[in-house]
Amino acid sequence: MIQEKNFFQRLTSNIDWWLVFAFAVLMLISFITIYSACFNYGTPLKYLSVQFLAFGLGVVGLLFLTSLNYQYFKQLDKVVYVLSLVLLVSVLIFGSVKRGTRGWFDFGYISLQPVEIAKIMFILVLASFLDRKAKEAKRVSFLISVFAILISHLFLIMMQPDFSSTLSYFPVTLVLLFMIGVQPFYLLCIMVLGSLAICIPLLETFLNMQLQLLQKEIFLTNFAIALKSSWFGVYIALTVLFLIIGSWWFLWKLRVKISIVYPVVLCVSILLGCVASIPVEKSLKDYQRKRLVVFLNPKVDPRGSGYNIIQSKIAIGSGKFTGKGFKKGTQTQLGFLPEQHTDFIFSVIGEEGGWIIAQLTLFFYFLFIWRALTIAKEARDRYGSLVAVGLATMFAFYVVINIGMVMGMMPVTGIPLLLLSYGGSSMLSSLCAIGILCSISLRRYTYY
Amino acid sequence: MVWQREEKFAYEAFLEKHKIILVFFILLFACLSIRLFYLQIIKGNSYRKISEQQRMHSTHERAPRGIIYSADNAVLAENEFTYIILFYPFGQHQTPSNKNIEELNKILGRDVKPTIDKRRRYGRVVKLADNLTIEEMFKIQEKKMSLEGISVVKEPRRIYYSPEATSHITGYTNEMNTYEVEELLEQGYKIGDYVGRGGIEQSYDKYLQGKEGGWQIEVNARGEQVKAFKYVSPEIGANVYSTIDLKLQQTTYDALKNSATGRGAVVVLDIKTGAVKALVSCPGFDANKVGTNKDFGNYSRDKQLPFFNRTTQSFYPPGSIFKVVTFAAAVELLNINPKETINCTGSFELGDRHYSCWYKQGHGKVNLISATAQSCGVYFYQLGLELGVRNLEKYAKKFYLGQKTGIDLPNEKKGFVPSPEWKKLKMKMSWFQGDTVILAIGQGALWVTPLQMAYMMSAVANKGICHKPYIVDKVVEVNGNELYKHVLESNEYINLSDKTWSLLHQALLETVEHGTGRRSKLPGIKVAGKTGTAQNPQGKDHAWFISYAPADNPEIAMAIIIENGGGGGLNAVPIGRKIYETYFNIDPEKGDQ
Repeated sequence: MIQEKNFFQRLTSNIDWWLVFAFAVLMLISFITIYSACFNYGTPLKYLSVQFLAFGLGVVGLLFLTSLNYQYFKQLDKVVYVLSLVLLVSVLIFGSVKRGTRGWFDFGYISLQPVEIAKIMFILVLASFLDRKAKEAKRVSFLISVFAILISHLFLIMMQPDFSSTLSYFPVTLVLLFMIGVQPFYLLCIMVLGSLAICIPLLETFLNMQLQLLQKEIFLTNFAIALKSSWFGVYIALTVLFLIIGSWWFLWKLRVKISIVYPVVLCVSILLGCVASIPVEKSLKDYQRKRLVVFLNPKVDPRGSGYNIIQSKIAIGSGKFTGKGFKKGTQTQLGFLPEQHTDFIFSVIGEEGGWIIAQLTLFFYFLFIWRALTIAKEARDRYGSLVAVGLATMFAFYVVINIGMVMGMMPVTGIPLLLLSYGGSSMLSSLCAIGILCSISLRRYTYY
Repeated sequence: MVWQREEKFAYEAFLEKHKIILVFFILLFACLSIRLFYLQIIKGNSYRKISEQQRMHSTHERAPRGIIYSADNAVLAENEFTYIILFYPFGQHQTPSNKNIEELNKILGRDVKPTIDKRRRYGRVVKLADNLTIEEMFKIQEKKMSLEGISVVKEPRRIYYSPEATSHITGYTNEMNTYEVEELLEQGYKIGDYVGRGGIEQSYDKYLQGKEGGWQIEVNARGEQVKAFKYVSPEIGANVYSTIDLKLQQTTYDALKNSATGRGAVVVLDIKTGAVKALVSCPGFDANKVGTNKDFGNYSRDKQLPFFNRTTQSFYPPGSIFKVVTFAAAVELLNINPKETINCTGSFELGDRHYSCWYKQGHGKVNLISATAQSCGVYFYQLGLELGVRNLEKYAKKFYLGQKTGIDLPNEKKGFVPSPEWKKLKMKMSWFQGDTVILAIGQGALWVTPLQMAYMMSAVANKGICHKPYIVDKVVEVNGNELYKHVLESNEYINLSDKTWSLLHQALLETVEHGTGRRSKLPGIKVAGKTGTAQNPQGKDHAWFISYAPADNPEIAMAIIIENGGGGGLNAVPIGRKIYETYFNIDPEKGDQ
């Protein structure tokens, strides 16, 4: 190992300054917006001081992780994995309950949400596993082991239960599998499985709500009653499976040779999806289901769950080009906007900063993610690349889901906007993630 | 650059996919940017408007309506103040919570319902209860902190001092109905406005209304007031000065109410100007009570039709009082000798049909004057036959029958004068001479309103000069600014010869002095008039009396009808006498001597 320059020289010359710049701007926007958003609660400084404390801790973590060679995580992947499981299990035992979720370690002044750390650990572990087994990427056993890792985390998080925190696992896993060279067909199967697992419980809720509202649609009503009361759903699933196998057989007879593996895998994933819907149904809370359904059809419940989306859209839209000015947003300051310092913080930016600041925020996010992807491209080994892609995907996913949500393009899922939203744990974990990114970036020219 | 310890193709495969992922993220961010642009730049104005709407409330403070005065400056309609409870929607709450409703019920001891009735909404605000007492108002103010979105507001309410006697002159007010909301909004009313119904309240509504005021306040999502911006005090409507003589009106109403059937109408006009001195339709309604749904329902179901303004909207057959028209036409066109007599045997024969005089024994020898005074049918059958239907129709129209008088009260009706063409068209029959005969004494399909008859009588008294009847003299704003003043209109003129007028006056005077109208004979003042007993297919005869006084220098003219009242001379004339006694301040005791 060649150690020509000391750490600080390397830091200044090799670090990705664009990434740091984007990060700094976003932090600045975050503090200003949180101050304004909490102003009508009466104690903006209290919220801001918590955020500063988390920021301080996070910066320490960031510097530590930057100086630490990320390859240790690869070598110690089993330790990291076990540690993440320990974190998730211990929160189930020792954690305190907030809003119906047992997901917090309470330390008096601040409380920590271990899921946020576990997410980062999962990316490290998964990347390590994929890197080791890259040559076996075409095998089914490989996929199954990946899913074993995934399910172990998902299961523990669902036990809390915390539906929205599990969401970021799916895009990260899918993107990493795609990067390692898994065939898109298998990824499609996985998506079918996942969407079935989520959509079946939602369909039930949706039909329940529709039943109360639309008695006119006789066909829909009968369909819903049949679905709920008998084996009708099972028949539908069997019919779909039969159709898949049948069409494969038909194509085979036409001498279009497709391996039997594809239809079988598709069928299995559908069946698994149906089965998986049962635990999902149990962990989804009623209000969460309603939120998802309301996104699909906001007219179902305009006064209840639809209210948040409507108010958020009004807040953003009413900002117009230049915004209403710092602390002058009527939607924010008069409390029409829900959760304005956490999930709906982008609405505050949109209202008070207008299109200019909101678009600028989006731009800096994109800059940030683009730099993270560039770090992935330039990393000196596959492990570094995979970790960087995984982290970039996580950030991108959070931004798209959250900003899409506040603008009424995505369901209200209770996902915070990383780096901007108020919240110590997510701030801490974001800074750690940036630390890892910096570490990868810093060592891109280091050969050994 | 490649990955360490990896083959080159693995890194190149990675770069391929890296590109795809990058493009995918760019697309996602492009979607977000487009959506942001759409929300803030394209739809920005409409969202800004919504956000302003939900933070701004205005407390609607209704303006008091203008005061309605009589001719002698007595107050007919005024305002008193009551308190009402309003609910201002906030956040997700469009109706008050059940808890608050229960609390209100406990305080008020009545059943408060959060209605979604359009009538009870002032924009987005919902009215929960009205007519609060001051104690109730204070109790609610005490608990205001726990009653979210609920506030108590002072509101003017209309009060009428002679609610029944002047009911058809003033009319009444109430909130607009659900079914008329759209039409009224087009006319510039706002939801929740009070609308004048009938009488002056309706025809002068625009002047009486005034301007709504209130506070403009900013509220937060919980509906609490954050700050108030400005207060606009409501502006009271303009005052209306009517021409009604309240004493005369009251006497007339009482007289009609105590008449044979209690149903009828009287119009008293000032001959010099056309001003309405009294306008009574009996039975009237209590204008203070009709605001409530229960009383309104009772009145509208009443068989005696109290809401119906009989003076301008009701059609009656004129009967013998139409003889005034026949008389005028005969003198003008037939060059009749007033001294020439015919023999009334009590019956008139035309072809194979008999037309009888009301006096079965017959009047014997009658001339033009005495036939009028005694209301002899046979004489006028003769005249009608000689004149023919064309001339009768022409002269009826000359006296403005079948036309609106143009009085400033709502929904005036035209009446009807029949013609051979009309009969052909409607009944598919030709006009017979028998029709002409009965038309000459005001029967058949001839329909008039009491107002038209009073108008005709004032024209007769004025020797043809017609002054359009009116009920409102002027409209004056509170600051003294005159918005409207009645201008005397006398462009209508009934052109008849002086001989006709003097003969007619002589005949009408004779009617009261010695004829059928003698019950209205007054000491010192000469009255000229004509009685009528109009047969009507629905029931008993209507009693008519039209007159003017003093005969030598006329001041007022009037028309009286008592529905199904029987003979005019017996039933309608005494009411005329009472009105004259009141008007001329004659002690009735002295008159009897």
